[in-house]
Amino acid sequence: MGVAAAARSYVPGLALLAGGALLSQVVAGAVDGLQPLVVAVGVGALVGNTVGTPEAAQPGVGVDKLFLETGIVLLGAAVVVEEFLAAGPTVLGLVVAAVGGGLLLAELIARGLFRLDGTTPSLLAAGASICGVSAVVAIGRVLDARGSAITFAAATVLLFDAVTLVAFPIAGEWLGLTGRQFGVWAGVSMFSTGPVAAAGFAHSPEAGQWATVTKLARNSLLGGVAVAYSLAYTARSATDPGVRRLWAEFPKFLLGFLAVAAIANSGLLSPAALASIGRVSDALFTLAFVGLGLSIRLREMREVGGAAVGAVLVHLLAVSALALAAVRWLL
Amino acid sequence: MVSDTAGQPDSPLVDRWTALDRGWQALALGLGVVAVHAAGQVAGVF
Repeated sequence: MGVAAAARSYVPGLALLAGGALLSQVVAGAVDGLQPLVVAVGVGALVGNTVGTPEAAQPGVGVDKLFLETGIVLLGAAVVVEEFLAAGPTVLGLVVAAVGGGLLLAELIARGLFRLDGTTPSLLAAGASICGVSAVVAIGRVLDARGSAITFAAATVLLFDAVTLVAFPIAGEWLGLTGRQFGVWAGVSMFSTGPVAAAGFAHSPEAGQWATVTKLARNSLLGGVAVAYSLAYTARSATDPGVRRLWAEFPKFLLGFLAVAAIANSGLLSPAALASIGRVSDALFTLAFVGLGLSIRLREMREVGGAAVGAVLVHLLAVSALALAAVRWLL
Repeated sequence: MVSDTAGQPDSPLVDRWTALDRGWQALALGLGVVAVHAAGQVAGVF
């Protein structure tokens, strides 16, 4: 396929995302205190659950995750490295404790309390503790899980993504958390990267940056968790060698984020250029969040099983309560 | 190689891009945006 022909199939979806993003800017500009990124998710969810995404728009709308990841790479330009290095060890410690402890807790709750069996507890644990749906799919591949188990766990994670996207910013406001506290709390406790960033930016730009950076640290542990699961389930299926698996599951855009942060902090780019890169990042986030809203399917969420919802809910409440106490104490 | 759409020949650029992991695509696009800004700065735009 030629470049022009390949690009043409993406035009309707990209136009839909751009239309939603423009509408979000207009609505947020008209209402005081409303964040365009939050409106973008709302606009997408409204369209997705009423008229739906037209068939012709599907390829373009599917680019939303690429926009999100590119927006995160460019977010590196807004990062003040000294500030993050100062808080780094504390945040990294929190992330490792939340992922390690969260995985064990989720497995215990799902198997012991809710009597779920097979690979479902591990898929739910991975989705809740690392990076949402992408972790469910990655760990599902490692464990050779059935397609229906992966779909079930992914739908459960998506349900919580939608609920926490609304609940966390409200809770953060109510609890009177600072931008840094809220960002790290959301980054440690919530599930998928898009909703974490959206919730962070719904609180404040500072919270958005901390939420994204904290979530990236969590995502980078996916490879390690995949290796740990493949070792724990060795009898079940053949797996890739450890290092190859670690690299395969490592989110490569994280390297771009670090590279852009290094360039921005080297002093090579002028403040005007950095501000412009920040605007490109904001625009990409807005497009991505319209797509995130479009992917929220309220009808499908009603079909998620009660035991899985119960297990993930207990896990979320326990992890977010512990993480809240930790960020208030440490940050 | 011939594509299934309108009999147009496949573009190696499109093939390479679509074969890339999304993380690498995001990294390339992000660094591309930074490079454009660096070039703009040299040209006196920023």
